[in-house]
Amino acid sequence: MNFARRSTLILGIATAVALGTAGCSGGLLGGGGSDDTGSTSGGESGPIKLGMVIPISGSSAPTGEYMKNGATMAVDEINKDGGVNGRQLELLVEDEACDAQQSVAAANKVVSNGAVVSVGGYCSGATLPEIPIFQKAGIPMIIPAANSQDLVNQNAKNVFLINGTGKQQSSAALKFMKKQGYKTVAIVDDNTSYSKDINTETKKQIEEDGSIDVVLSTSVTAGESDYSAVVRDIMQAKPDLVYWTGYYQEGGLIINQLTKAGFQGDIMVADGSVDASLVKIAGGADGVYATMTQTPDTIKGAEDWIANYKDKFGSAPGPYSTQSYDAVRLAAEAIKKAGSTDGDAIIKALEGIDGFQMFSGPLKFTPEHTLSSGGFVILQVKDGKFVLADDLAS
Amino acid sequence: MSTSVDKTRTRPRSNSAGAKLSRFMESPKIGWVAFAIALLMPFIIATPYALNVMTTAAIFVLLASGLNIVVGYCGLLDLGYIAFMAVGAYTAGIVAKSFQLPLLFTIPAVIVMTILAGLIIGAPTLRLRSDYLAIVTLGFGEITRITANNLSITGGPSGIFGIPGLLEIGGIDLQEPAIFYYVTVVVVALFVLAAARLGKSRLGRAWRFVREDEDAAEAMGIHTYKVKLMAYIFGAIWGGFGGILFAAHLTAVSPQSFVFLQSALVLMAVVLGGMGNMRGVVIGALVISLLPELLRDLSDYRYLAFGILLVVVMVFRPQGFWPARGFEPERPAPNEAATESEPAPPKEAIR
Amino acid sequence: MTQLLWDGLFVGSFYALIALGYSMVYGIIKLLNFAHGDIYMLGAFIGFAALTSFGGIPASLSIGALIVVMMLSMLLTGGAGVLIERLAYRPLRGAPRLAVLITAVGVSFSLEYGVAAIAGPNPRAFPVRLEGDVFDVLGARISLPQIILMLIAAALMVLLNFYIQKTSTGRAMRSISLDRNASLLMGINVNAVITRTFFIGSALAGAAGVMAGAYYGKIDFLMGFIIGLKAFTAAVIGGIGNIKGAMLGGLVLGLVEAFGSEWFGGQWRDVFAFGVLILFLTLRPTGILGERVTERV
Repeated sequence: MNFARRSTLILGIATAVALGTAGCSGGLLGGGGSDDTGSTSGGESGPIKLGMVIPISGSSAPTGEYMKNGATMAVDEINKDGGVNGRQLELLVEDEACDAQQSVAAANKVVSNGAVVSVGGYCSGATLPEIPIFQKAGIPMIIPAANSQDLVNQNAKNVFLINGTGKQQSSAALKFMKKQGYKTVAIVDDNTSYSKDINTETKKQIEEDGSIDVVLSTSVTAGESDYSAVVRDIMQAKPDLVYWTGYYQEGGLIINQLTKAGFQGDIMVADGSVDASLVKIAGGADGVYATMTQTPDTIKGAEDWIANYKDKFGSAPGPYSTQSYDAVRLAAEAIKKAGSTDGDAIIKALEGIDGFQMFSGPLKFTPEHTLSSGGFVILQVKDGKFVLADDLAS
Repeated sequence: MSTSVDKTRTRPRSNSAGAKLSRFMESPKIGWVAFAIALLMPFIIATPYALNVMTTAAIFVLLASGLNIVVGYCGLLDLGYIAFMAVGAYTAGIVAKSFQLPLLFTIPAVIVMTILAGLIIGAPTLRLRSDYLAIVTLGFGEITRITANNLSITGGPSGIFGIPGLLEIGGIDLQEPAIFYYVTVVVVALFVLAAARLGKSRLGRAWRFVREDEDAAEAMGIHTYKVKLMAYIFGAIWGGFGGILFAAHLTAVSPQSFVFLQSALVLMAVVLGGMGNMRGVVIGALVISLLPELLRDLSDYRYLAFGILLVVVMVFRPQGFWPARGFEPERPAPNEAATESEPAPPKEAIR
Repeated sequence: MTQLLWDGLFVGSFYALIALGYSMVYGIIKLLNFAHGDIYMLGAFIGFAALTSFGGIPASLSIGALIVVMMLSMLLTGGAGVLIERLAYRPLRGAPRLAVLITAVGVSFSLEYGVAAIAGPNPRAFPVRLEGDVFDVLGARISLPQIILMLIAAALMVLLNFYIQKTSTGRAMRSISLDRNASLLMGINVNAVITRTFFIGSALAGAAGVMAGAYYGKIDFLMGFIIGLKAFTAAVIGGIGNIKGAMLGGLVLGLVEAFGSEWFGGQWRDVFAFGVLILFLTLRPTGILGERVTERV
């Protein structure tokens, strides 16, 4: 049976595992009390570390890559100009795979490695459980992408959202709907936290406004192929506009199946669906509108930035590249203003920032730590590409 | 933990170092050694990250020991085990949050709910044959997750967050990572010990009998249905406690944490470690939960590796790396099994 | 209403194609091939790879190209099925069901994450789309691609039924499913027949994969998981081990789901499907067409 050898093997593995975990840094005895956050960069030397917990694996991995590149670009630029308070910046990227459990582990890891500001956060569901961890460690979070209202409702004083919130996206959607003169709309989400948030909020705002009828507000299950049930419901309700608030994978399928079913109305998608793959999966989506915070393509004067990005990473920037870039710059600015890497000082500095130039415009946080205006615009698919259709300025 | 699992077996032993080691691994001390290592770990490393990883691993050990009762002891393949943890975590989260209670006081509610869940899932399905049972439990697992995702009481897709801590007494907050780690380790150790004891009890012997040959067990006067249901309920309670710890650990519960993959990972821990042997299962659970953290950068390949590992283990060593003593070898042909010094498999006695 | 019926039947025919493989394998070696749904996924990805490597295909040729690719995909998925049986299931023949089932779960994982490692975890858009006219039949919108796909599915099923009922291999399959040892004694090459069964079942799933890719337009490495479970449900509803039952079960499940999501909302669809599965297993485990057999453990 060769039993003994197996046991040795197992013991070996177990020891290896134990040693591997132990191979990092001090324990309860060595590293100070149990409330030690492991923060080493609180000191006065060495690089200032920024934590970035984003999806590197899983279905949201491409966006994570855009975010990482955007942030890296900002870090490199700042370091070239001499860093912050005479110290260099360092980016600590960890994978959360859009999963709560992994994001908690990842957040703990960046805290342990001495991050002083967090500049990550894409999936709202995975970002929520990170809040208490960063809060406890006294680390401010500048969240570039995740924007569920739940994040705001936490009322955590260390959380700052620099993406428009669900509420702001909804009001942008409503504004556009009224502008277009739609009478009836159907809102469909994919039953994820982010998506449902926009659905509920849009419905609420439309009903408060009173001039448009929500004829259908429903959810589908993400990850399926056949959405004939919701397509049937939409065909029966005959809305002027279908607003899809989920991600691009299902969005593409629903657009395709609606078209096949002969749907005549307009279709609009939310920012999670703004991706080149949407058009590919839909098999052509010309005319589809989208509510989106500005992407580099749609921002005037960003051509240089895009060229730099392409130079550096060999591909065009995507969703949330700019926000991540701005998140790092904002963090640097706040540390500079605070004059230290102390969490509370940085939070105070962030709250005091007024008129800091970002892609979404001059920044001043609301008391809720969100942008005063979401910077949402309306894009439209033309020749297979999302282009600016309406900046909702008037 | 006693070693006297099976006095009837007399396996010739060599006196090599390997055999000594093997005997040591069999000794009752090993449990205490493991426990001591777990208690000493934070003195070697206590960064929040390490504590978080170790706490997660400990919770995973609890889950694996619970599933071991169902799969290892009783031979019921449960592919939706994570549903019990979901029930426990959600119950704890909802009760604690709506009444602003420390999580510790939700234990009675969690026990009631998980037993109910065990009954609801077990009662109609346990009369099914084993492969049907596997799929049905998978179905129940998915139903639990989808329901949690769709209902508003469970917070829908965002789940429940801001769950109060376990308990706060006299300025000592059990949520403090190091303290929470110790609480978890002690709780998990108790449960693992309890599961091991259960396995050696009268009920545990009945479970093994059912696993080896259900018809024979029935013929010997064991109420197989009731015995199987008991395995299910114990498994459910274990899962429920895992859920409480999970909720306390993450302070948030969301449906994405209870996907099929999680059930499969717990199962993998049980299978790799050696079904039925609590020590093997603990090792299996530690390997399965710690390895991905160590291989964080290879995250996309780890499930591929797991899948291949499952097949390889089943083909070459179906009893796991560290099988239970007295565990009937699964593979040998009937005549081969008879020549071994194992107790005669009851299966042959009946046919 | 007619739309509902039609949509249900259309989805159901996919379930039926996949359920056939489940049912055949189960009927013959009493193995619940958990990885069967992933063969469907594999089929879709093989189709994707083949079509991408052909480069641009003019729309007028798309149906022809699709059928060629489907054949190729069937051949390869069939081969994959045989390989899986050879490497993972055959060594365990005669082992307890638990061990075999766990192996099947392992195979399923390997296929899913193997494809994810090769093709990447992101969903892919299928390069060829079936487009066509839409007819209005009794208030239901029925499109040409739907009709073509259902015809292909029906043709495959009729062929299979003929094969099983009329050919000697088919007879051998039926005889093995009744009594393997007796078949062995009668001079049937059991291993060869089992290999063939895996080939056919997997090829059908592969065909369904290509069809789904071309119709829906999106494929990803987890697409086989849920549909595999649904196909199993379909097989159980119809009576597992029964070929006609699998077809019937697929259609019934498609309809049940269509009505279920109509009444309860689309997000409850899977709950509904699994609920039906549990009901059937507890109340009538032999399914609609299954015969009552006493189980041999």
